[in-house]
Order: sequence, then C-alpha cells, then structure tokens
Amino acid sequence: MNNTTPIANPFDKFLNLLCFTPLGLFSLGVLVVLPLIPPFNQEYLIRWLISAAFIASLAIAFDFTAGLINIVNFGYCAIMGLGAYTSAVLAERFGLTPWLGMVAGGLVAGGMGMIIGMITLRLRGIFAACLAWFFGLALMGLAIKLVWLTRGPMGLRVDRLFDTQSNVPYYYLLLAMMTAIYIMCKWVTRTRMGVAFKAIGQNMEAARTSGINPVFYRLANFVLSCAIGGVLGGFYAHYYGILTPDMMHTSKTVEVLAVAYIGGRGSLWGGAAIAFPFIFGMELVRSSLSNLPGINLVLYGLLLILVMIYYPGGFAQFFDTYIRKPKSRILNYVLNGASQSAN
Amino acid sequence: MTLARFSVIATIVIAIVSTLDRGGYLLVNTVVMGGMTALVAMGLALTLGVLNIPMFAHGEFFMIGTLVGYYVFTPISTYVSTHPESFLISWGPLITIAAAMLIGALAGVVTELLIFRQLRKRSRENWVMNAFLLTVGLSVVLINAHQLFFSADFKGIVGYYSGAPFNIMDVYISRDRGFAFVVAAVVVACFWYFMTYTRTGRAIRAVSQDETGALMVGIGLNGILLLTMSLSCALAAVAGAGLLFMYPSYPSVGLEPLYMAWFVVILAGLGNVLGAVMCSFMVALLKVLTIEYIGSGWDFVVPSILIILILIFKPSGIFGSEVRGVLDK
Repeated sequence: MNNTTPIANPFDKFLNLLCFTPLGLFSLGVLVVLPLIPPFNQEYLIRWLISAAFIASLAIAFDFTAGLINIVNFGYCAIMGLGAYTSAVLAERFGLTPWLGMVAGGLVAGGMGMIIGMITLRLRGIFAACLAWFFGLALMGLAIKLVWLTRGPMGLRVDRLFDTQSNVPYYYLLLAMMTAIYIMCKWVTRTRMGVAFKAIGQNMEAARTSGINPVFYRLANFVLSCAIGGVLGGFYAHYYGILTPDMMHTSKTVEVLAVAYIGGRGSLWGGAAIAFPFIFGMELVRSSLSNLPGINLVLYGLLLILVMIYYPGGFAQFFDTYIRKPKSRILNYVLNGASQSAN
Repeated sequence: MTLARFSVIATIVIAIVSTLDRGGYLLVNTVVMGGMTALVAMGLALTLGVLNIPMFAHGEFFMIGTLVGYYVFTPISTYVSTHPESFLISWGPLITIAAAMLIGALAGVVTELLIFRQLRKRSRENWVMNAFLLTVGLSVVLINAHQLFFSADFKGIVGYYSGAPFNIMDVYISRDRGFAFVVAAVVVACFWYFMTYTRTGRAIRAVSQDETGALMVGIGLNGILLLTMSLSCALAAVAGAGLLFMYPSYPSVGLEPLYMAWFVVILAGLGNVLGAVMCSFMVALLKVLTIEYIGSGWDFVVPSILIILILIFKPSGIFGSEVRGVLDK
C-alpha cells in the first residue's frame, strides 16, 4: 500500500480508517434499513436476516484463520458452542448478565483457541484441520454427556437478551457486531501482523527464515478467531433461548466453511457479502420446495463442488478480476474508495 | 523398542486383560468392529496416499453400501421366507456384499471421473485443501440426496443369518458378527495380497510414493487413480453392507465410520495402508473399552482426547508415513 496517494477528503479518510469502500458502506446501509422496508419487515424475514448475519460474522472470523494462515479450523462451531454454553451456564447458575456472559464466552473460547493453536502448532494443513476437528468432536461429546451442566440433548433454556418479542433489536445488535468484527479483523491484517499471517499461510519455512516467529502469530490468530466465535456463540445462546449440543456439530462448521470459501478465501468481506443472498436463496428453496426435503442442501453442496472445481478463488476473486476495474472514474471510486487499496 | 512395536504389544495386552476381566464379548466386539473399521480406513488411507485427497465423503460410500445392502437383501429375504429350500438362504448375504462392492466401485468411478478428474485438470496448486473442501461438498450432496430419494427413515434388516449363535468357550457370537468378521478378514487378506504381490498393486504403491517417478517408468497415471478411487469406495461399501445388521441405512449413517476411519488414519500416519489395519483394531479396542468401563456416549470423547495426546508427542502417527505429498501441503 505504499503507492497510494495521500487522502485529503475527511470522508475518504474515515472510510479508509474503517476499511470500507463506498460500495461496502452502501451495502451496510442497505442492510441497516432493510428491516424497515415492507417485504422485509415481517418477523420471519427478519429471522432469516439474523441467521444470514450470524453466518456472515462467523464466516469473517473463520476466514481470518482459514484464509490468512491457511489452516481450516474444522472444529469452529464447537468452539462457538463452547462460548455459547459458557455464557448460558454463567447466566443461569450465577445470574451474570448476558452482556458479561458474552464476553466470558469469548474469553473461554479464546483460551480454547490457544490450546488448539498450541496442539496444532507443529502440524500443517490437513493434519491441523483434523486435530481441530477431533477437538470439536470431543467438545460436542462433552456437551452431550455432561448432563448436570448442559442438560445434554434435552436442551438448556436460556433467558433472551432483550425483553421483547420482536427480533429487530437482535438484528441491529448482530449487525453492529458483524461490522465491529470485520473492522477488527481488517485492522489486524493491515498491521505487520497481517503480513506475517499471509507469509505463514503461503510458506511457513520461508516465513521462518525471514525472521517471523510462527508460534506467536499462529497462536494470536487462533485466539482472536476463536474468541470472536465465542462472543458470537454467546449471542446465539441469548437469541435462540435454547441450546442443544447439535449446534456444535460438524455440519454447522461445514455451513460456515462453505459460505467462507464460496465468498472467497482470504478476503474477509467475501463471506459476509455472499452470506445474505446465499442464506436467502437456501431458505427460499427450502420453503417453496418443502415436499422435497434436503433439496436446498443438495444445491448447496453442488455449489461448493462447482466453485471448488471451476473457481477456487470464490466470489471475491471474481469480483476483483472482473468488476473492480471499470473504466469510469466515478465507478472506480465507488468500488475501490479513494485510496485504491484493495480492501 | 519403537513406538509401533510398543503400541501393538500394549493393545494385545490390554485386550487380553480386559477380556479376562469382563468376558470374551469384549474381544469379539473389538475384532468385528476393528475388521470393519479396517475396511473403511484402508480405503481412506489409500485415497490419501495415492490420490492426495483427504476424503471427507468416505462415510457416504459406507452409506451407499448400506443402502445397496438393504435394497438387495430385502427382496432376497422375502423370497427366502417363501422358498426355504432355495440356495439363496446361504448365498443371499454373499450376493448382497458382492452387489454392494460392485455399486461402491461404480460410485467411485463416477466420482473420480465427474469430480476429481475435473479438479485435477484445472488446479494443481493448493490441491489438498481444494480437494478436501470438494469432498465436504460431496458429502453434503450425497447425504441429502439419500434423504431426497430414499427418505430419512431407518432402513434396516433383522439379520443376515438366522439361527443360534456360535458358542466358542462360553462366548456367544451371533452368526452375523461371525459373517461380518469373515468378510472383513477375507477382503483385507485379498487386498493385502493384491497390493503386495500383483503388478497393479505395485504400481499403485509406486504412485503413492512418487508420482513423477511412476510416470517416468511408464505407469498410466489416470488408470491407476481411477482404479484406486473405485477400490477404496468399494471397500467402504463392503463395510456398509457387512454391518447393515448393526447400522440401519439412513442419510448420515456414514458419519460415525468416517470419524473412526479418520482417527485410524491420523493415528497410523497419513496414507499408511497396512498401519491403518493395525490401528483399526487399536481404535476399536479403545472404543469398546470406553463403552464398557465409562459408558456409552463417551466413545467420542475419550478416544479423541487420547489420540490428540498421542499426536502431540508423535505428530506423524504411530507407524509413520512414507507419503510426502500430503504432509508438504
């Protein structure tokens, strides 16, 4: 980013600070007003919006590990579930407010991320993914069997965060969380640390030779990504109001993984951008073809296969290659912002 | 004493001690379970070693095996119930297994041609990760296609062979378990012979050790990859059909064998086929002992924690791995 011209306009400076392009800010604005516009102001559509935003946030944090240091944390939803159970149990047993509970969930999940990071430290690629997966399986098994704590498959009832029937406040909270997560991850990738992450992800030996200590960076990455997952888990617990070990299942991780990779690995925004149309498409297919159970998941698996074969870079790469280089200067500004840096 | 030798001896000693403590059924369960896990895990190790694909959809070929077993064996058993003199009464199960093997091999061929060959044509960089994500998608597709076309009900059979269980030294072994074990043993033995002594088996091993080298000495790579894929899928399908009396067919039936097979493959060392056979029995013993002494439901927690502990100290697995391709990426 050395070749960028200095930015004069304060609005552009602000945008650059937040790591948004004008188009990104505009889409965020659309998401903010969406629950007020007629077809979307019905409760069930707001629920879809919430689940899309939830998957989007998870995909950002997941991509932070998978896309940057190239390790698939295959137990990610189990970590998220750990945060959820921590928050729920603290709220139920000790009467802690859900807000602090979410923070506690994040701390515990971050600690677990540290442990997973340490275990997988010596391993690469698929080995590390498998160990994280076994870890996730073990966590899910614990959630099923520790009935005195989690009530197992019967489900743990949790108080909801807000005292209303409406889902709108949850949506805005989640949207704010999503934005905060995005900005935080983006800030980290802009620092020296982000460069180090990318170096480790591409070639660990080369990174080590040039003086990057992989232990520190890999642990930092795991802790941050898992802590975000834990906070989101806390939100999940206090939004749905009931927790079952099912939420830690591998298939949930697969859902997040699919969104993150279809969105584009290493881009952070790709997963978030694709999550909304994707979840809406899936829900539409499911509700309109309800006599064909499972058809939406078949389509979704096929989409993942096709993307992996024909366009492994995902939506973000497509966008960067074909849409991001328009002739007109105004369009260029809208798509890229003033700094020209590819955010 | 190497870790490999130590762990084999420890497994045998623990198996004997626990059998003396709780009775022979522990040993029987371990052996049946281990034999069938070996079939799934061998296929998984083979795809890892030869094709460099970390197969997440391997359990779904197990599921295909159970499905074929159900749809082949149900008409046979209704026919047999009206014609008790028919030869099918003893040959029916074998026909079922053979059918499952055939369909499993076919499914493997289709998968290789339609999916992996396409991927291989297009990308070589970051191959392991892309292939892994692809198999994740494949797994989702197959599980839900099962639900779509065959519904999510349990489709099971009562058993392959009716009749009194065998009694060996006061241990009762149901005929189905005996049958499953014999099938597993025969298939593993044939497979071992095939891999060790035939020309094609040698070619497969050559490809797993060095792909470029194999190409240079004139091994047709595409044919070998196709054969390997169909073989490993056929093995998983045989396991599915063989265990149909324990696992009725439903969409996500393959997940549990998949977890087990991954435990085994990681524990043995990626791509080590013969090590996988040994480790299958270790993992099966671990699982049986966990169920026996701690309770059912813990059988994912305790083995996975133990395996994680072993891997912290020996990341390349108990038996080590000769396959470099997977480790490097």
